[in-house]
Amino acid sequence: MFSDFKSDGFMLCIALLIIGFVVCQSLFFVIRAIKRAKQIGITNTQIKSSITSSAMFSIAPAIGIAMTVLVLSVALGNILPWIRLSVLGSITYEVPAAEAAIEASGLTTGISSAITDPTVFATTAWVMTLGSILPLILIPLFLKKIQSKVSGAAKKNSKWTETMSAAAFIGLIAAFLGRGISGLGEAEVLESGEIVNVSIGDGAGVLSLTAIVSSVVYMVIFVMINKKLNFKWLEAIAMPLSMILAMLTVVMVSNFFPDFAAIEWRY
Amino acid sequence: MTTESYMKSTYRYGNASCILALIFFLMLPVAICAHLNVSPDWSNVLKGLGSIAIIFYPTAVIEVVAYAPLLGAGGTYLCFVSGNITNLKMPCALNAMENSDVDSNSEEGELIKTIAIGTSAITTTIVIALFVLAFSLNPSFSEVFSDTSPLAPAFDQLTYTIFGAIAATYFVKHWKISIFPIAAVSLLLVFAGTIEIGVLIFVGVVFSLIGAQIMYKLKLV
Repeated sequence: MFSDFKSDGFMLCIALLIIGFVVCQSLFFVIRAIKRAKQIGITNTQIKSSITSSAMFSIAPAIGIAMTVLVLSVALGNILPWIRLSVLGSITYEVPAAEAAIEASGLTTGISSAITDPTVFATTAWVMTLGSILPLILIPLFLKKIQSKVSGAAKKNSKWTETMSAAAFIGLIAAFLGRGISGLGEAEVLESGEIVNVSIGDGAGVLSLTAIVSSVVYMVIFVMINKKLNFKWLEAIAMPLSMILAMLTVVMVSNFFPDFAAIEWRY
Repeated sequence: MTTESYMKSTYRYGNASCILALIFFLMLPVAICAHLNVSPDWSNVLKGLGSIAIIFYPTAVIEVVAYAPLLGAGGTYLCFVSGNITNLKMPCALNAMENSDVDSNSEEGELIKTIAIGTSAITTTIVIALFVLAFSLNPSFSEVFSDTSPLAPAFDQLTYTIFGAIAATYFVKHWKISIFPIAAVSLLLVFAGTIEIGVLIFVGVVFSLIGAQIMYKLKLV
């Protein structure tokens, strides 16, 4: 199962230790928050609903993250990408970081072929770690100051704070929707000067819009059902369910109408 | 226990866990070097780090400043230690806020976000571990999720399916302040289509706050 130096028993022990730490930290904070929530009158139903909904919501994105482990495992084995993507890391960071580290060691193959030199592997591990630890230095230094400014503003004018808080979340959502509407995908310029799309699905196009629109539609349907029939159980799972149904819609469009699905207006 | 004492201990435990996490994570490459009996090529480390730090260090600063008020104190500590914030933990917190119908800046909001993000971190860790185990025991399992699999397009569009569902709930409630940031970000992407997502989120939040502030002053919201 774990044969080479990238995936041996030692690496497995490190992985279990580090990932175990992250799980313990999460458990500790969750248990504290639940105890406090009960003290201030948040109902058991609200707490259970948050836990169920968050767990369900996380499954599909977690599979997406596991797929990134797969992408990186060709070069780095299973264990290092597993550690990196279970703690601190992100899909958008790990791949470019690994590429940069491997190429800095003089290997032009990047993440597409296995690293056999332990020095290159160690160098890659250092680069991936050092490139991502900055928030862990900034947060203990500045988080309290940032939070006290926010709660200070919240106390002064609650209506204004509510509007601005919603606006901040909407700004975040707008960034992702904007990318689906007009974000640029990867392209290649041929010798003839023609620009060709080299990767279907990374730029704004039929698939990105299908994902957004279908997800919105499913969610609106569930909200309407909820309003009419007052299904409490549906309220908690409406968002993860909309997400999964939208993913199925994307699969159907791309498999039944491949030419239509390949249309991208931004590459 | 008062809100103040709860928050005080949250900062204390949070800072301690952050520093402990920093030590743990730095021990990873140290342990790898010791186990393999090698020393990294420091000039290559600096070269590799230079090319990613130029993008990811400024982004990290922006992310801490922009995300912390949205995630709450407990949520911020958990998110930045467990990673995958924008594609998973942040939407998960938004989902929980919507379901529980509490004010984001209240103590209730802080607690619900902490519970949601912590649950998400634990679930994600378990799912990834199960997949890694499955990949290791049976390499053909990975083909189900390869680039050529019929399921691949769905995972390529995963982020849009997450934010589509969240957008539906937010936009129904706050449609007036939603139009401007979406239009502004989409227009910006027409001219600068490859902006890194961390920076784009910051820009989106700034656009959205400016638009909302103007509408608030004009008494339109």
